[in-house]
Amino acid sequence: MDTLFTNLALGFSVAFSFQNLGLAFIGCFVGTLIGVLPGIGPIATITMLLPVTFGLEPTGAIIMLAGIYYGAQYGGSTSAILVNIPGEVTAVVTTLDGHEMAKRGRAGAALGIAAMASFFAGTFATLVVASLAVPLTRLALVFGPAEYFSLMVAGLAFAVVLARGSVPRAIAMVLGGLLASTIGTDLDTGAERMTFGYAPLSDGLDFAVLAMGLFGFAEVLRNLEAVEHRDVVKKAIGTVLPTKADLRRSIAPVLRGTLLGSVLGILPGNGAVLAPFASYATEKKLAKDPSRFGQGAIEGVAGPEAANNAGAQTSFIPLLALGIPPNAVMALMVGAMTIHGIVPGPLVMVKSPLLFWGLIASMWIGNLMLLVINLPLVRLWVRLLDVPYRLMYPAILLFSCIGLYSVKSAPGDVLMAAVLAVVGWALNKLEFETAPLLLGFVLGRLMEENLRRALAISRGDPATFVQRPISGALLAVTVLVLLAAVLPAVRRGRKKVFTE
Amino acid sequence: MAVDAAPPDPSPPNAPRVLVSKDLLAGLALVVLATFALWASARLPMGTLRSVGPGAMPRGTALLILGGGVVLSVAAVVKGGTPLGRWSLRGPLFVSLAVAAFAFTIRWVGLAVAGPLVVIVSGAASDETRPVELVVFAIVMTAFCIGLFRFALGLPIPILILPGIVTI
Repeated sequence: MDTLFTNLALGFSVAFSFQNLGLAFIGCFVGTLIGVLPGIGPIATITMLLPVTFGLEPTGAIIMLAGIYYGAQYGGSTSAILVNIPGEVTAVVTTLDGHEMAKRGRAGAALGIAAMASFFAGTFATLVVASLAVPLTRLALVFGPAEYFSLMVAGLAFAVVLARGSVPRAIAMVLGGLLASTIGTDLDTGAERMTFGYAPLSDGLDFAVLAMGLFGFAEVLRNLEAVEHRDVVKKAIGTVLPTKADLRRSIAPVLRGTLLGSVLGILPGNGAVLAPFASYATEKKLAKDPSRFGQGAIEGVAGPEAANNAGAQTSFIPLLALGIPPNAVMALMVGAMTIHGIVPGPLVMVKSPLLFWGLIASMWIGNLMLLVINLPLVRLWVRLLDVPYRLMYPAILLFSCIGLYSVKSAPGDVLMAAVLAVVGWALNKLEFETAPLLLGFVLGRLMEENLRRALAISRGDPATFVQRPISGALLAVTVLVLLAAVLPAVRRGRKKVFTE
Repeated sequence: MAVDAAPPDPSPPNAPRVLVSKDLLAGLALVVLATFALWASARLPMGTLRSVGPGAMPRGTALLILGGGVVLSVAAVVKGGTPLGRWSLRGPLFVSLAVAAFAFTIRWVGLAVAGPLVVIVSGAASDETRPVELVVFAIVMTAFCIGLFRFALGLPIPILILPGIVTI
């Protein structure tokens, strides 16, 4: 416990410098500014804002990135409440009661409680991250290549089950991601793989390019096709301060949501996605009068928002402790950190404790900033929602192009994203979901490396994956999860969760 | 906004069966992708279990994708699938053209040209676009981006290169 506080104190001494506070503020502000625009999820937001951090030294850059990340998350909830358009999956639940509250002239209260619930959950989850980081890093030492490989297989299985749409298609997408990750120079042998002699490909596909093309640009294309139906609330926003009755009703849901989110966020394979859904279902079940849900029940905003934010926070744990990004947004954060010369993983804590604890402290500061920025600025965000899509998407494209170009000053990257945009569009048309592909891509290189290493250690005996207890257990979980997903009963339940 | 995409409705039992369905196309796309990858990685050595070669992972995943593609296509033909629906090419065409135009001009002519180009070309993707508004918007946004990225953030993005005349 003592070391936890010394460590946190160390972190705060870094994060509380005038410059770093300023960076956290700017990060949160621009993150929210972009994230609040309907139809722009955190992936697109972070890619667009990456170049903003390039000129900074690593600690400052990471702190600002963390701010952008939280801002983008929170911005998604704001557009969910005000326009009924969730920026990403985790904000879907917020639309149910949040938008209903907004229609009844209580948008302010919904935004206020969302900010407060997020802040509380963020504070708690930061403590979880801080206290679990050290023991989990020790766990990382027990993990050999076989365990790493199996853990990633389990993570991908979760990602398949958590994807919307059909299971076989999600599996195909994960495999597609793994395949794409093999493009480039093989690290072991130096062999050029599927590069067709095209030099820029020998470093492999860049994740930011892939994410922007398949995900960001494809999102623009999807929005262009959909008939614009923006349900902007015309009613007064009202006060952002919730009433006493609101607070009383929200306390228990916030506590439960925080716990749910903190636990689910740690799961590899984007467990955090489940958190708001699970919280909403729990609150509805526990409510005295479940019929209020969907009619603007404040519990339906407070619980899921807390769960969402706690999950967003604890999903840093697999990344910081094991170096395994649990979802596409985290993968983008990895890419960003790598640009600044930091390879996330258990070594960061040992090698650069200032950076590590500074990041954790700045997580909390980021949450505080959000509370401080958002409550007074709600009216500014509402204004932004009036920007019509016909102007928004060219601006998105311009910013994205600049973002992509400035990563490596390579026009080829931008061109590649243009091609991938069409691929992503076609995949959407064929009902393939691109999120599992991105995760497969991110984990692909690590998986292959660990697979090969594990087999080399076991002298070519594949039984090693089953015989080693931790690895075997992880693979057993994988099989169970996949079996469960194809069982008819669970399948129906899953469909219900995602359509609700 | 993948979110509001409703799950495909199961077609009513006596709807006419379509041969070329989304599902068949999806399956075939996987088959084509896998075959291409198998061809592209054909020369890479597979290695042995003890020392896995660079060809193992690409070909292994490609084979699995191939299997998945075959299963999807066969299922689509046997059980029937959801109809293709409308594919409008306008969006993807102009959006990727716009991005490509940016890629071809940014390094050699600079942001002062690449910026308005990406905004104006992409404007053709939507039928809600108003030309005059878009041109003004393109100029304002480009000026803003030049100010922000080049001058405030100091990123090495070329602004205007006219050979022999100016280079900023």
